[in-house]
Amino acid sequence: MTNRATGPAVDLTGLTKRFGELTAVNQVDLRIAAGEVVALLGPNGAGKSTTIDMMLGLTKPDAGRASIYNRQPNEAIIDGKVGAMLQSGGLLPDLTTNEIVTLAASLYRKHRPVPEVLERAGVAEFAKQRVGRLSGGQQQRVRFAMALVNDPDLIVLDEPTTGLDVEARRAFWVAMREETAQGRTVLFATHYLEEADAYADRIVLMRTGQIVADGSPSHIKSLVSGRTIRATLPSADVNVLAGYPGVDSVETRGDSVLLQCSDSDAALRELLTATAAHDIEVVAHGLEDAFIALTTETSTP
Amino acid sequence: MNLTYLRMEVTRVLRNRRILIFSVLLPAILLLVIGTPNKHDTYHNTTVAAYIMVSMGIFGAMSSATGTAGSIAVERGVGWNRQLRLTPLNPLRYVISKVLLSLVLVLPSLIVVYGLGATVLGVRLSAATWVLVFIGSWLSALPFAALGLIIGYIAKPDSIQQVNGLLFFLLALLGGLWLPYDQMPHFMQIVAKYTPSYWAADVARAPLEHGSLNFNAVLVLLGWAIVLGFIGIRRFQADTARA
Repeated sequence: MTNRATGPAVDLTGLTKRFGELTAVNQVDLRIAAGEVVALLGPNGAGKSTTIDMMLGLTKPDAGRASIYNRQPNEAIIDGKVGAMLQSGGLLPDLTTNEIVTLAASLYRKHRPVPEVLERAGVAEFAKQRVGRLSGGQQQRVRFAMALVNDPDLIVLDEPTTGLDVEARRAFWVAMREETAQGRTVLFATHYLEEADAYADRIVLMRTGQIVADGSPSHIKSLVSGRTIRATLPSADVNVLAGYPGVDSVETRGDSVLLQCSDSDAALRELLTATAAHDIEVVAHGLEDAFIALTTETSTP
Repeated sequence: MNLTYLRMEVTRVLRNRRILIFSVLLPAILLLVIGTPNKHDTYHNTTVAAYIMVSMGIFGAMSSATGTAGSIAVERGVGWNRQLRLTPLNPLRYVISKVLLSLVLVLPSLIVVYGLGATVLGVRLSAATWVLVFIGSWLSALPFAALGLIIGYIAKPDSIQQVNGLLFFLLALLGGLWLPYDQMPHFMQIVAKYTPSYWAADVARAPLEHGSLNFNAVLVLLGWAIVLGFIGIRRFQADTARA
């Protein structure tokens, strides 16, 4: 395998994009080292696609800077360092799979042999069929083949498995794994926590245009999968409660307090001995529920 | 030059024969309908049949521009342009590919029109004049190809048909393809000189009347091609609309 580029693969600083009143992406800082497999996780409208568009130079940021391997995105693209798969479109329906991948290959000075790429992306079996007649899942794999054809160091995938069934999704990630095993850097956007958990080394969680958490899958899961303690505690001191062991965050609702906990047992022990809290409930969240809770904007009363 | 890209573009057109049929059949039919009744009349230094034959050659060249605009509108519709921006394809080369494609696509209509002229209409020209007329009308596709590029990027996909139709009509009319220049009303003659089609027709017809190309007209035509091509490149760069 050829030597992979080193240095930060992606470096975003203060990246901001506004659409009229709406700030789609707000002061995003993100640095991705070479070889990392990073999931950009968040619900629809979190700003993932806009962030990716700015990272790739398709959209001009209103503020901040995006660079790929310490260069302007378009320079890195011209140099053949980047393979990208957009969320939709980008295919010419009149061409066959083989033709469109050959066409994509012809745009690069150096590229992988087309038959190898067709095989790798799992599109060889329909290489002679026109792209417009393929199913959504098959078209997605053709896009994947086009993103791989230039042997990129950085692969950027915007919601690569949208519209795929479970089987196709698994096949896609198996192929992806083989690619990342060769030291490529991968950034993929998704709104499935499961997918981010299973395939990424690092999860960057976005909500309403901002990065709200960044860490290993187990760290992110601990953030979203803890328990909530609800108790009645009039005139509680929020700062004191937040300092209890196992407590991540504290909210008050009238006379009630809500403690988001990574270790609810430790928090409960402290709460019962040190305060007059009563009517205590402990609620565990499902992973997806908790993820939704974390990524949905909370309105403070 | 990227020959693979050009080859794929030609493949796509061959799979969408409607565009090609339109650009070949229409000028051929018009040539037979208008040219046959007065094929023996003379006009300036040439025959009416030869004059109409060249006009219809330009007409075919213009419809190749329509094809370019249509295919770009489709490409934008499916997000192909955004995909291209994620590759090293340089805008200049992209535009050159599109223009070359137009030059290839105009050949079938020129061959059919000139073939019909030589056979059915009995147009007789010296070998040198045939070559010059052919090259002249082929060159005239250049500014139209660039124009097609601009329309493809400016017009919305659902209005492209109307924009194309109107422009096509105006250019053909002002270029003297339907009505000879010296029979136009005065104000039309003034406007005509500001259209690329007038100069395209001049380039293609000059050999009929004088036996040689009019180099001033060739320069004006190339000027049009360069200016329109430049605008086309700018539009390509600016267009990042989402599919």
